[in-house]
Amino acid sequence: MLNSKRLVLAHFWLAFVVFGLALLLGEWQMFVRSPLNPWISNSDLYYRSVTAHGSAMGYVFPTLIAMGFGYAITEFALKKALIGRRWAWAGLALVAVGAITAMIPVSLGLASVLYTFYPPMIANPFFYIGVVLVVLGSWIWVALMAINLTAWKRENPGKPVPLAMFANVAGAYLWGWTAVGAAIEILLLIMPVALGLKTTIDAGLSRVFFSWTLHAIVYFWLMPTYIAYYTIFPRAIGGRLYSDAMARIAFILFVVVAMPIGVHHLFADPQVGAGFKFIQSVFTAVVALPTLMTIFTICASAELAGRLRGGKGPFGWVAALPWQNPMMLAVTFSFLMLGFGGAGGLINMSYQLDASIHNTQWITGHFHLIFGGAIVIMYFAIAYDLWPHLTGRALNSARLIKAQLWLWFVGMIVTTFPWHYVGILGMPRRMASYDYANSAIAPQALSVSLSVFGGLLLVISGGLFFAVLIRGHLAARTDPGTYQFSVAVHEPVRVPVALNGFALWVTLMIVLTAINYGYPIAQLLALKGNAVPAIYMGATR
Amino acid sequence: MSTERLFSFKNHWFAASIGVTGALVVLSLIGGFVVLPYATTTASFAGIWDAICSAAGVPRATAPSDVAKPDFTTSNVVINSQMFGAQDARSVGRGATLAMQCAICHGSNRQGQIDTPNLEGQPAAAIYKQLRDFKAGSRTNAVMAPFAVRLSEQDMLDLAAYYAYLPRQPGAHPALALDAPVIVARGAPMRSVAACSSCHGTTDAKLGTPWLDGQSAVYIKAQLQAFATGERRNDISEQMRNIARQMTALEIDAAARYYAGRP
Amino acid sequence: MTSASDHDHDEGAIVAARVEGRWTILSACVVGLLIGMAIFAGIHKATMPQARVELANPQTLHISGEFIESNLGSAVEADGSVTVRALGQQFSFTPQCILVPTGTAVTFRATSADVVHGFLITRTNINAMLVPGYVSVLPAKFDKPGEHPMPCQEFCGIGHEGMWAKVKVIDKTAFFKMAADNNRRLTCVE
Repeated sequence: MLNSKRLVLAHFWLAFVVFGLALLLGEWQMFVRSPLNPWISNSDLYYRSVTAHGSAMGYVFPTLIAMGFGYAITEFALKKALIGRRWAWAGLALVAVGAITAMIPVSLGLASVLYTFYPPMIANPFFYIGVVLVVLGSWIWVALMAINLTAWKRENPGKPVPLAMFANVAGAYLWGWTAVGAAIEILLLIMPVALGLKTTIDAGLSRVFFSWTLHAIVYFWLMPTYIAYYTIFPRAIGGRLYSDAMARIAFILFVVVAMPIGVHHLFADPQVGAGFKFIQSVFTAVVALPTLMTIFTICASAELAGRLRGGKGPFGWVAALPWQNPMMLAVTFSFLMLGFGGAGGLINMSYQLDASIHNTQWITGHFHLIFGGAIVIMYFAIAYDLWPHLTGRALNSARLIKAQLWLWFVGMIVTTFPWHYVGILGMPRRMASYDYANSAIAPQALSVSLSVFGGLLLVISGGLFFAVLIRGHLAARTDPGTYQFSVAVHEPVRVPVALNGFALWVTLMIVLTAINYGYPIAQLLALKGNAVPAIYMGATR
Repeated sequence: MSTERLFSFKNHWFAASIGVTGALVVLSLIGGFVVLPYATTTASFAGIWDAICSAAGVPRATAPSDVAKPDFTTSNVVINSQMFGAQDARSVGRGATLAMQCAICHGSNRQGQIDTPNLEGQPAAAIYKQLRDFKAGSRTNAVMAPFAVRLSEQDMLDLAAYYAYLPRQPGAHPALALDAPVIVARGAPMRSVAACSSCHGTTDAKLGTPWLDGQSAVYIKAQLQAFATGERRNDISEQMRNIARQMTALEIDAAARYYAGRP
Repeated sequence: MTSASDHDHDEGAIVAARVEGRWTILSACVVGLLIGMAIFAGIHKATMPQARVELANPQTLHISGEFIESNLGSAVEADGSVTVRALGQQFSFTPQCILVPTGTAVTFRATSADVVHGFLITRTNINAMLVPGYVSVLPAKFDKPGEHPMPCQEFCGIGHEGMWAKVKVIDKTAFFKMAADNNRRLTCVE
């Protein structure tokens, strides 16, 4: 029973349309800066595209997925209608309006500042207004998640919060707090300068505020994926979730530790002290823990399914798994990409190893592999899983789905592995063109061309994805039944209060933020004279 | 019905999480603020408090060192976007009066000599900076020096406002409109030459850069050659010398001809 | 009030919890090992984040202080080490060719005159951000002579792709001879 079908569908469709457009831009970018293209005559076009692609893929697309999926989980898990549906629609409208507001100056070349918009480069104010509107829309979702959970808990005192909802709200709280960093940077530091009320800005302080958001946002993106790992995958393959308690602990660890580690994006920066770089490096290592736990729990859950299907011996259960099931494929591909991407992440978080590849194409390869690969492939899987419940029609395109998933996986590997390699060779990021004729750059040419080919596979896969979703709207009507989340082997009857709510964990999250970020921010704020002149982008004379 | 209290040390979860977090914080503080700074032999600290403060990011002044002084005058102009905001009509008017002495060489309607630059429509910041440099002697020119020396700060701002206010004149030979040569459109990145349009362009023109479109080819070529040899060195921190040094003679010619033919 | 199946259930739960616990301890050990390696690398003189925050005023770099144009380049210190001072600006580095000796402790000191730039010497681990208002300090040591492209690795505006400088590593003796013969800062700019 889903009361808010149209709401969830609207979120998903807007998300995927934005994704599709940004995907095309991304492939254009790959082509334009590769040896396959003679030279781009107007590099400004390239940077507009990078800004649009990054902002759409980073700020709009995953936010809408988290929001839509979150509303669906609320109704499915709590088995009641969403409280505040009108507010939810308002939130969606804010995100849509914000996205368009931001994209207009970007396409006109007035906001070529990239999705990281590092000051003192300053774009047209509407770009920032657009981003703020998107964040405001998402904060409505955060509030609704909290309100719905609180209402349910009041009506169901002492009962364990369904795991899917627990994880969903964890993601919401994490995002709510994480977005504060960039919000402060935009509202207090950048907007006055963009509007011409001030003409100087502290570039270092801005980067510190942005780093507050920059890391934990990827965990916000990752939440729907992990929710699917725990609450959809075991059920989809006919198994059980190995442990409900460990799942809760993993999500709790994300809430506490994903946040106060953003300074590892500032390892190479001169405005943060080495001591704070070290503390945040330690906590970054700790955030590897919930992922390691997840890998174990999900593999164990898969083993359960394999053995239930008759698999015997230490590895026989692997062969017995339902490999024809798209969800099985999606999670396997996701884990493979998570493995490589995660290993790359461990390298990035070590100051010494990071020094070799910071801001090279390795970084771009890394986050495309882990976000575009491991995370987004699960967004596809979530859409496929929910689609019959959203459309009331069957989703019969099993072969198309499997082809789409295979193409996405292979395409992502072919795109990102050469990318990592050229990063090691020292290819810098964010350049519109490279002189492949030069002997220092020539060794990179073949790998870059390979990446373009990989990107083409991704575009084809994206096209197949749309085909599947559209066919899902046109197929015969069917009753998909009640939506089921996975059941744990030992379904909890009672859960400790610490694992059933967030008061303690949100407190710890905020306390750690204060410890890890408080002094660096305070000290930069105290340096009154360190603001530098703004450089207005796209300023014509 | 659970009567567990969450925020109490009797709650194992509370105690454990506070304990582990606290231990991690304390250990990483000690590691990051004491152990590692002391292990860093490339920096010398004046005691433990200095080490802790430096690790925290308290700005420290560098030990003063010898600074090699230049044996010529460098540009000492500071320009920022605040200085050249909205045009003030009176400033433009005063500038117009002052500019009558400039018209001898920098005449209007392209009647000026071809080796003097066309000033009409040039950004105010560019005019101002060059006048300041002429006055200070960081840019040397036997003809300009006597004029510039007599100008006050306000005179220079007025002249800048006036020339910026004028519309740009079309190029002397608009029929020679050429495709942008490689050096203009793409630069020569591996030789440290960015595309000319990245600073001298229509979007994102760098503050203080002059327009090149429709400028005299003779003048552009002469300036590029002067930057290349170091004869002209009022470009802040060698930014134009870096470019011109790496351009070949053919590229300088091509760039000069291209810009002269632009409207 | 437990039935037989509840009892099995509890037993199973205990086993599962034990397995999970062992895995978590193993994971925590892996994480601890990573942290330990970082500390070990830091103590044993692997590259470390810069020790101090230092400020600079990008608007007056060319007027006074250590980043005036005549002071940019390689300088020999009293203790025989070399300090290289460089500036990043839209869209070039000054000096556009940096000269350093082999086998000597080199300290790079650099800052930005306008926006955030990057400072990357390819085929080395010398990699930093240049943030206007702050001075970046990096220690280095070059083993072999050669040439390294030095691109800006952070988007700094439309001309970012044109911002490539060069680092030339020459033999120690040749370098110090040049330094002795010349009382200017050394560069390989022609």
